[in-house]
This record gives sequence, C-alpha cells and structure tokens, in this order.
Amino acid sequence: MRRIVALAPLAAWLALGAAAPASAQWWRDVPDTVPRNANGEPNLEAPAPRTKDGKPDLSGLWNPNANKYLRDIAVDLKPGDVPFQPWAKKVADERADGSHSREDPDANCLPQGVPRIGAAPAPYKFVQTEGLIVVVHEAFSLWRQIFTDGRKLADEVNPTWLGYSTGRWEGDTLVVDSRGFNGKTWLDQVGKPTTEKLHVIERYTRKDFGHMDLEITIDDPGAYTKPWTVKQNLTLLPDTDLLEFICNENNRDLAHLPGGDVQ
Amino acid sequence: MKTSTALASLTLTLLAAGLPVQAHHSFAAQYDAAKPITLTGKVTKVEWTNPHIYIYMDVPDEKTGSAVNWALEMGGPNALIRLGWTRNSLKPDDLITVEGSLAKDGSHLANAKSIVMTATGKKMLAGSSGGTGGTGGGAEER
Amino acid sequence: MPKPVRAIAWALVFSFGVCGPAGAQWWLNVPTSNVPRAAGGEPNLAAPAPRLADGRPDLNGVWEPIKTYSRDLAADLHPDTKSVPFQPWAKKLADERGDGAHSRDDPPARCLPQGVPRLAGAPGPWKLVQTPGLIVVIYESFTLWRQIFTDGRKLADEVNPTWLGYSTGKWDADTLVVETRGFNGKAWLDQVGKPSTEQLRVTERYRRKDYGHLDMEITIDDPGAYTQPWTVVEHFDLRPATDLLEFVCNENNRDLTHLQSATD
Repeated sequence: MRRIVALAPLAAWLALGAAAPASAQWWRDVPDTVPRNANGEPNLEAPAPRTKDGKPDLSGLWNPNANKYLRDIAVDLKPGDVPFQPWAKKVADERADGSHSREDPDANCLPQGVPRIGAAPAPYKFVQTEGLIVVVHEAFSLWRQIFTDGRKLADEVNPTWLGYSTGRWEGDTLVVDSRGFNGKTWLDQVGKPTTEKLHVIERYTRKDFGHMDLEITIDDPGAYTKPWTVKQNLTLLPDTDLLEFICNENNRDLAHLPGGDVQ
Repeated sequence: MKTSTALASLTLTLLAAGLPVQAHHSFAAQYDAAKPITLTGKVTKVEWTNPHIYIYMDVPDEKTGSAVNWALEMGGPNALIRLGWTRNSLKPDDLITVEGSLAKDGSHLANAKSIVMTATGKKMLAGSSGGTGGTGGGAEER
Repeated sequence: MPKPVRAIAWALVFSFGVCGPAGAQWWLNVPTSNVPRAAGGEPNLAAPAPRLADGRPDLNGVWEPIKTYSRDLAADLHPDTKSVPFQPWAKKLADERGDGAHSRDDPPARCLPQGVPRLAGAPGPWKLVQTPGLIVVIYESFTLWRQIFTDGRKLADEVNPTWLGYSTGKWDADTLVVETRGFNGKAWLDQVGKPSTEQLRVTERYRRKDYGHLDMEITIDDPGAYTQPWTVVEHFDLRPATDLLEFVCNENNRDLTHLQSATD
C-alpha cells in the first residue's frame, strides 16, 4: 500500500528543530516511493532498484556531495597530476586567481558544460527510460539526453556546450560517452580549459538506494597530454524536487567580476 | 537577540547534507573572505531572482549619520526555498543585521553569509558561496 | 526598418537554430523498428495512436507545432471563444506591443523563457518523455524543460513564482489534462504581446489523434488580465526521424541592439 507523505507546514517545522523536514513544501500529497526504516526516515542503504530488464535504475533526484569539485575538479589529485599541455597550463594558471572570472561562461549564464554541470550546487534528476535517460538539471534549468539505444554519433556534428551523449552498461555501471563540445567551457572555476576535441567519459554506479559513485575521465588531446580521471559521488534527495533556475533573469555579476568578455 | 539554536543547528545540518549553495562564478574573484563585515540597517529593496538574490539596505554612516545604501548578494532563491523561506520573508522596512564579506572593488557591496531579522531574531543563512570556513557547509571558496 | 519587418526579423532570429536540415544526420544507427511504416517504407503518420502496456495513450515522441503559435496565441481560437476577452488595461498594453515597437521588452528577446503555453508553440521541436508518475518535456527552444507530475500530487497554495509554472496532469479518457499555475506574471503569452499576471492558470489538453498528430486545447484563465477564460487550439506533428538540438539563446544574443523598447 502506498503511503502519502504529509509534508510538514513551515510553522511546525520551525517550531520543531528535531528531525529534518521533508523540504518540498510546495508539493502536497506526494505518493511515497521511498524505502523507509522503522522511524520513517528514508533508508538510503536499501538496495538499488532495477528496471524490468534487470539493469540498475538510476532514476531519482541526485545531488553532488561536495561543492569543491565545482571550484577545482582536480582538488583530490596531487599537484602535477593533471597532464596539461603547456598552453593549457599557462591559461589555467592565469585564470586560477579569479582575475579572469568574468570570462567564465558560467558567470555569463551560459551552460557549464560537461562534466561541470554535474558539480554545480543544484540537484539533477535522472529519468531513465528504455533507450534514453533524460538528465533534468536544476542548474540553469538545462537538460541533457543520454541515448542508450545503441545509436552512434556522427564524426561531424554542430559543436555545443553540453555535447552529445550515449550510454552503455558495463555490468552495473553506466558508461556515458560525450563528444561534440564547442571548446568554450571551463572544467571548473579555477579555469582548466577544454577544446573541441574533448571527450568525456562518465561512469555512474548506483551503489544502493541513496548513493551513486561517479568516475569522470577527461580525454581532451587538444589541452592535455593524456586522459585523466577524477572521482566524485552523489547522494539521493528523496523528499524534494527540482526548482526552476533561470540564470538570466537578473545576472548582475558581470559588473562586479574582474576580467574581459567571454570568448 | 534570541536565536533559535535548534533552528540554527537544523539549518547547518541541512547545509552539510549538501543542499544547494548557489555559486555560478568564483566567490574569491569578487569578495574578500578576509574582510568580514557586519551591517545593521533597514531593507529598502529585495530582488528575489536568479542567479542571486539581492537585498538592498540603508545603513547609517557612523560619521555622518546619514544612510548609505548597500547591496548584498546572496545565493539564488532555490537554496532558501528549500530551507522554508519565501520571497516575502524579507520586505522593505524590515530591520536586519547582516554578516558577510566585503566586495573587492570597494563599492557598497557585500556577499551575505547570514541575515538576522531584528524583530524576531530569526536567522536566515544566506545560501551564499564562500566564507563559512571549515568543512561541509557548501563553502567552495576560502 | 518598417515595423512589420522588425517583427519578422525577430521571428527569423528565433528560427535560425531550428530551420534547415533536421538533426537526424548527427545520429547514426538509430533504431526505428517501432515506427509504423506505410507501403513505401516511410513512417505511417496516420496509423492508430499507440498505447502503453497499461492501456494509456502513449504521448512519447518528438513534436513540432504546425505553425508558430508563439507569434499569436489567438491564431486559432476554439469555437467556444469568439474573441480574446481582455480587461481594458490588458487590451491597451497588447495594442501598444502588437506592432513590434516594444519587441526588445519581450522576455525571449532577452533570452528569458517564453512561459506556458507559448513555449510549446515556439519554433523548434520538443520531446515528451512519459514515465509512470512523471512526464518530462524537453524543449529545443532555449534548452528548457518542464515536469508534469501525474502521480496525484497537488501544488501548495503559495509557491515561488516562476516562468514556466508548476504542472500536474491527469487522464480524462484519452486526453491528458495538464494544469499549470505558479507563474511570475512576466511572460508575454505571445510575441504580439498579450499580457499575463501571477494569477494565470493554464489548462492544456493533449490528445494524440493518430500516430503522427497531437492536438492541444489550451485554456487561459488569468483573472488579472482577462474577463473570463478563453481557449485556443494548437496542432503538432510528430517528427519521427529527428532529435532535439541544443539552443543556447544567450551565447551571442545581438538582437537587443536591433529591437525597440518601450523606454526608447
């Protein structure tokens, strides 16, 4: 039998200070599809769900666990581990102190690119269907498509901010290949460059109901001497939903940030 | 000033759980975390918008006594919506005390870390990037 | 530039990303075994509307408006609506905006969302992805998305106002009835400038007539701008051989220097 989750009204929540409230207070009577433990809290360690064909179901609202990767995607690596080409190192060094941050496309409300959009501090929803996973991002209200129907990307495509993505299963890991980027995005706020040759491989493994591992390989022979890999992880947000985020509606930052115009 | 410690610890818990902290640009490029500022004054305008909420407030100048209008940048609305705040939480003429980091360009602009409403003592964490120090809490700049 | 040409120029700006060849040539080896075929092998757009395993209509697909309803929402009024029932202030404003003289103030000219229902009638296809409890619609236009919850949830009375609102849907026989509210009142319902307010509620009735055709009856209920609800009809064609492209409006938006504003 499905339970209906009663979302605590704001006044009661403020008075409580006890258990964390269901935070999507703008939705009521939401059917409860979340495994719960004895005291009613989401059981994030329940087994990961599967689709009818036995594959892991990655559907859900996910949140990146650490904002630090937005600032520096390589923060967990040792200095020198990122295999920059000399020109790319020079550019990254110039950008690292923030003196060019006005040129960061993100600051101009342009798409953050892949994988940076997944590190933005806003949740995103995987909607997994047969042949297609739609990734619905709160960050700038953008979407991505990951085609799992076996199609292939042509060699010549119109370059884009978020690329073109296909996914396939390796065991219980979804391996997503993305290409067709426009080379304008920064991998992070400190400014690691990308080029049109960028190929991103994301490996998503849903360990249990509430936890997803993500391994990202940056393969950009235009800027780096070899592919390099970082690890991140995501946590499910069971009791909230996406909100709209239209970055353009009042972007006053450009007047305050140092640097030139976005290239 | 009465602060609900339960509320404060609850909101800190929610932040540490990784709720969104808006930052689509580098905090350090614009603000100086080493220049903390506390401002007390009256709200004159609220822009409840993406990518940042802006609160404008009149702060009496210590020397002259006349009001100086400050702009405070916060995170976007969604982080605060998830903490239960709405666009009507702050209105013109509300009295507030703000803690934040001064803008580097010398203007009357600061990045707000927290806002306490004088009338109720309620504390609104600003959902903003940077400056909270330590681990978790969504700070991605130092 | 004469005023009507200005409006046309603006419409062309928005079509540049989506006219021309469909995006099918980016993708190779796309499986199409579930597309009903006519004798010559081409998609049979008149085949019966498909159903899901549970018997519900299958609305999945890439759809495109047959005309640019985003230019004038009242292009095809429903027979029950004789004319748009403006309140006097709304009529005055719509008349001022109508010849394009304020087109720089139109939110999409600044790369802001078209709102609902204008987004579906804007140039460019959109893809409807139907799952139990949730329909996600992704739009090529400005790479925006909408969620339509079909799991029975209800919207609270007080919500943060947005450009695209908050949507729930339920089935009325073979028609999906989508209710949307929680708007910010900033969107123009169309390019000729019909106003909206925060009181706007939109009802969209989606009905898949056959494999290749989707009808939508849309009721505008905005007591802040109109004296009573009014209804229009829009038609959409399936695009079986293409997919969505990216459309990032503000990557190089030069229109603002070419368009006029109310404050000029």
